[in-house]
Amino acid sequence: MYVEIAGLAFGYKNSNEKVIKDFNLQIQQGEIISLLGISGSGKSTVLRLIAGLEVPESGLIKIQNRVVVDSSTFIQPEDRGVGMVFQDYALFPHLTVGKNIEFGLVKMSRKEKGKKVAEMLELVNLRGYGHRYPYELSGGQQQRVALARALAPSPSVLLLDEPFSNLDKDLQVKIRTELKNILKSAGITTIIVTHDRDDAEAVADRIIVIEQ
Amino acid sequence: MFRHWRSGVTVWGIISGMLILFILFPSSTIIGNVFNETNENWLHIKQYLLKEYISNTILIVVSTGVFSVILGTGLAWVVSVYNFPFRSFFKWALILPLAIPPYIAAYTYTGLLSYTGLIQTFLRNAFSLQINQKHVNIMSIEGAVAIFSLFLFPYVYTITRVFLEKQSASLIENSRVLGKSPTVIFFRVVLPLSRAAIFGGTSLVILEVLNDYGVVQYFGITTFSTAIFKAWFALGDVDTAIKLSGLLMSMVILILIIEKLFRGRKKFSYTTTKVRPIARIQLKGVKALVAFGCCFVVLCFSFLIPILQLFHWALLTYQKILDPEFLGLMLNSVIVAGTASLLIIIAALIIGNYSRITENFIGKAYSKIAVLGYSIPGSVISIGIIVFFVAMDNRFFWLYKIFDPESSKLVLSSSIAMLIFAYVIRFLAVGFNSIEAGFEKVGKKFFEASRTLGMTVTQTFFRIDLIMIRQTILAGFVLAFIDIMKELPLTLILRPFNFDTLATKVYQYASDEMIPEASIPSLLIIAVSFMAIYFFHKVVEREDK
Repeated sequence: MYVEIAGLAFGYKNSNEKVIKDFNLQIQQGEIISLLGISGSGKSTVLRLIAGLEVPESGLIKIQNRVVVDSSTFIQPEDRGVGMVFQDYALFPHLTVGKNIEFGLVKMSRKEKGKKVAEMLELVNLRGYGHRYPYELSGGQQQRVALARALAPSPSVLLLDEPFSNLDKDLQVKIRTELKNILKSAGITTIIVTHDRDDAEAVADRIIVIEQ
Repeated sequence: MFRHWRSGVTVWGIISGMLILFILFPSSTIIGNVFNETNENWLHIKQYLLKEYISNTILIVVSTGVFSVILGTGLAWVVSVYNFPFRSFFKWALILPLAIPPYIAAYTYTGLLSYTGLIQTFLRNAFSLQINQKHVNIMSIEGAVAIFSLFLFPYVYTITRVFLEKQSASLIENSRVLGKSPTVIFFRVVLPLSRAAIFGGTSLVILEVLNDYGVVQYFGITTFSTAIFKAWFALGDVDTAIKLSGLLMSMVILILIIEKLFRGRKKFSYTTTKVRPIARIQLKGVKALVAFGCCFVVLCFSFLIPILQLFHWALLTYQKILDPEFLGLMLNSVIVAGTASLLIIIAALIIGNYSRITENFIGKAYSKIAVLGYSIPGSVISIGIIVFFVAMDNRFFWLYKIFDPESSKLVLSSSIAMLIFAYVIRFLAVGFNSIEAGFEKVGKKFFEASRTLGMTVTQTFFRIDLIMIRQTILAGFVLAFIDIMKELPLTLILRPFNFDTLATKVYQYASDEMIPEASIPSLLIIAVSFMAIYFFHKVVEREDK
């Protein structure tokens, strides 16, 4: 298994109730999975647990056969090799598009970085946008920058949190197809969290419904 | 749970913990020594003087509190509910009295009202009027209360006004629709509704009063501050100073507890989205004149008159005052305030970043402790710090000897480090609040995005956080810098021998009966504070819109 989650449980400190109870999931390499559920079902929390932004109460997460978290291990988010696209993209406002994409690239020469950034801009159809600032872009373009930024360091898994929630309804169909094409051409294992069944069906290879 | 600690966070936690320990040291020396064996001085004070300290302090605190509430809420109400000529000017001008530290106000009014001062001279020369000196004696408890109320009421005014404007528009309008007159609304709706805000502002006023030394000392009133100073300077009796500090601190704690109880779980901050301003009532004729008059009279006494008097004196004395030595004073002020503010910002960034990342109990406790110093009166902090530094000197005397066989025993406790350390403890809250607000505004998503892109906590801090909150860092620095420039009690006790700042020079001139000579350093201090107030209430308010 490429990604393996077993017996995951999580609850916020100030409440007794668990958001996630005994969650299990197995994902093949290159698969696009969609976690579908209503808001408050804890689907975004699953992403945050995989990324290492929250610490689970119990359970195990393995990525590429490496345990990233269990009862005795906790790999920090920066060491997990997981890319994440946040719901509101979280593009660094003080950096240009190019610098945003370059941000996660380390141990590369300047030339290699430039090449990688150009490659990523190409992938998300934003050639020539490298010198713009995030606020100069439309919502859809910002999302593609966030995607490029997450993909640039070549993560082993990509996590997308509600990727369509901040976009216009009529753009959605176009962007869904676009996103699926980008993900497939990058060949990356992906987990998408959404509350919309149409979105899930359009993009994902497999849908996991999360019920509370 | 320990898994959580294996990361860059650990380093931040350790450094924060050390900073917190340093902040707690002086207060804990007070607490640790407060029950030391009693000596003769203390017995004497307890038997004959303590009652006076307590009654004077309470009298001043309570009266100032009452008058500040009357001035602050009354003016806040007038300015936010009615429309009259110059309303928007008064709206922010009524904050200006805060630019004048009470001790400068006290010296100015003393000079103004004295036998040789402008007012009496004028009355004598123009009308041959001889005034009974009893009627113009400002150097009394009543005088101190007047000074404190006039120059500290803006704390109540500002908080209440913001609350009225942004929180209660719909409630006030509803009551108006129900046929209540504005006066009834004020007493039956606004006062009860905004009591948390009012009490928040008042507790700031009270803490300032308890911190004061310049006014009460000059007016010859014995309060806790003056008693602590006397025990230390005149009697050289640390134990008694500590005992008095302990008592004063328990008063402060009592006030903080009362404030907390009043506020309950309500925070009087407002939600920034979709606040609707009150539809103001247009005043005409006499009523408009009365509203204008109220604001104008208060502003005259609490800002315009003292400022004009200071300028007048400045014209008389500038040739005598402005010399290279004065430049040295300014430089001293700027250097100590700058160094301390820089340290404050660094400490605030470390503790602030740690507590926002961990979000656990320790982080929250740290952020609570970081702002504690602002409530502790300067006299208490100084005694705590002296005891702490002397103890350090005793401990490290052997070390000094290694470097310099001739070394005196008091190295740290006679250095400028002691003063700067005290500034950091007392004003850390100013920088910390600003930086915490910055972190809160930016949120954690950029931090998290950076972590998932492979950056550690520390890398993220330098590459993302620091840049994103740079404005609030600057704001925190400026605010701390100004507070330190104005500061008097700490500076007086803890400055090294022969080291003067603008504030201590003002104090010294006034003590030497040279009030006009104090005008130029006073005006400089006021000018710096004025700029900060202008900047924050004009620029920041514009941003809010």
